[in-house]
Amino acid sequence: MKKTINIPLGSQHISLLEPVRFKFECENEKIVGVDSDVGFVHRGIEKACTTKFKYDGIGYVVARVCGLCAITHSLSYTVAIEELLNIEVTSKAKYLRILLLELDRIHSHMLCLSHTCENAGFEAMFMRIMGDRELIMEIQELLTGNRIQFDYINIGGVNRDINLEVATKIVNNLDRVKEKVMGYVDEFTNNWSLSLKFKRIGALSLDDAYKFNAIGPLARASGLNIDVRNEIKYLPYHEIGFKMQTHIDGDINARNIVRLNEILNSIEMCDNILAGIPEGEIQTKYKGKPNGESVVRFEAPRGELMYYVKANGTAMLERVRIKTPTFASIPAFSHIFMGENYADAPAILASFDPCLSCTAK
Amino acid sequence: MKKIKVTLLDIVEEIKSFYDYKKWHFLTINGVALQDNMLEVQWIFSKYETLEEIVIFYVEIQYEDIIPSIVNIIPSAIISQRELVDMFGVEVEGSAKGLYLDKDSIQMPLRGCLL
Amino acid sequence: MFNFKKYRKKSPWILHYNAGSCNGCDIEILAALSPKYDLERFGVINTGNPKQSDIFLVTGPVTFRSRERLVELYTQMPEPKVVIALGSCTCTGGVFRDMYNVEDGIDRYIPVDVYIPGCAASPELIIDGIVKALDILEQKTKKMEKPLKLFQDASTKDGIINKRDCALKVGEKDEEN
Repeated sequence: MKKTINIPLGSQHISLLEPVRFKFECENEKIVGVDSDVGFVHRGIEKACTTKFKYDGIGYVVARVCGLCAITHSLSYTVAIEELLNIEVTSKAKYLRILLLELDRIHSHMLCLSHTCENAGFEAMFMRIMGDRELIMEIQELLTGNRIQFDYINIGGVNRDINLEVATKIVNNLDRVKEKVMGYVDEFTNNWSLSLKFKRIGALSLDDAYKFNAIGPLARASGLNIDVRNEIKYLPYHEIGFKMQTHIDGDINARNIVRLNEILNSIEMCDNILAGIPEGEIQTKYKGKPNGESVVRFEAPRGELMYYVKANGTAMLERVRIKTPTFASIPAFSHIFMGENYADAPAILASFDPCLSCTAK
Repeated sequence: MKKIKVTLLDIVEEIKSFYDYKKWHFLTINGVALQDNMLEVQWIFSKYETLEEIVIFYVEIQYEDIIPSIVNIIPSAIISQRELVDMFGVEVEGSAKGLYLDKDSIQMPLRGCLL
Repeated sequence: MFNFKKYRKKSPWILHYNAGSCNGCDIEILAALSPKYDLERFGVINTGNPKQSDIFLVTGPVTFRSRERLVELYTQMPEPKVVIALGSCTCTGGVFRDMYNVEDGIDRYIPVDVYIPGCAASPELIIDGIVKALDILEQKTKKMEKPLKLFQDASTKDGIINKRDCALKVGEKDEEN
């Protein structure tokens, strides 16, 4: 006789930062069915963008969709508006934007790695990575004035200039972070007890990654070459040494390795930017009201972020559509859970690096 | 950005003949409220490893029309379809209500955006 | 400087619930628990179980779907308990005020003891707020340990002590003073 038990995970759970509810249908230890509820954080930002705020303020509102990839949200929106208004941003502002984007990616990936370790039961590693992450938070605060919600990007440029003192501090701290990350690479590849928790668990094959349209580190760990940084021409990523990081295993370990390699690549890019930051203004003047429609994509730490903006020549926009990375990956998540042990579920969930406030908007 | 207009009847056939899962990346389904009770539904695709290539299929429909589902071709479209159902109150084949909205929250919030 | 002896008795545990925030404050809580800010030196542990916790740390304006869970978690916590509203949107609704799926702030649903402003609230502010909450927790504990004052009139009718009536009386007396 077939008998299954339903076990819920969430909406409030110690391993979750955010409310999400998964209902696992378990046969003994194995998960055979997954049901998810992601709408706990739905606030209605898309509607508020078209009824409450004018177009020049929305950049700060959409940053509040998600605290971790706030900078990518405001950048995508701003670039969409700049396309409609035909504003050419100075190259200094562009480089400063990439610099912050990559710093944000480093701290977000470090948070994800530490959280994965915590959910696998490795508390010491969690504390170690969180402690080292403060080096990045420090320089973000120096550069922008705030630790999490930067409000750094506005239409036409950026809000704060960089000076020599800050640049030296950033270079110093990045050097220290690089050393530490090398230590993690050693730990994540050679630690035996971590390998028991991470290797061959929660695997996604390349074919399934294509089928379920996986994005971000989840797809790259399966060997799928998707990185929006490779597919856009707005930001000069190829000048500063961007390299695609992929892996072939597709399990939790592969995702961790991809994230570690991306941190190293981002540090390299930041160093390259700071070595040759151009002189000039950080702000371009503009006038007029946006008209038309545009689609803009950027690579957030969790994957591809898409903004669709439609304007009609007035200060209020007609439609702002936000497609967030976790939202598009939910079907892939549910697929990966099938056939895994229930005990591994928190670690697998943490390795996706889900961002539910992005998902529900 | 390339926009292709199709009709509601042959949208599934169009996407079936267009979509190669190793070449094209499905982004999302998007709805835009138009004047006179019309809705524009867009299916957005991008090409893997190509610079800025985005293709949008779109239809213009009434709110009463039933939108066909493309889950058989693209399994991950289910979540976008459920969002469309919640946000505009339209009917999509095989997609349940209640991804975001509760029974007592405002129904179809994005429908009257223009007014 | 605060008096360490006063707090040594207690090791308050935190229950954290996200009622629809943007994640910013949640990761600042993690940062506050991590080595640089080290909230754990006050004996604070982040726990996932409402029945073992003393401090309820809420982030986010209350969304419609999280209302029930919020009240449920609050009622499951044992007395004495302290509620902290963390972040601007938790205190007043902040940038999310008047959006269609949001209640403006958690104090529409549960009583709040400490409000921490900021978007996102910095770890220093979080530590300040929690130290203040420990103070309030101490006061609440003392209040609970005091014997309930029974009034002669009305409540001891027919020798049956109506505890609820007594409590109401005490409340009225407090308001008069």
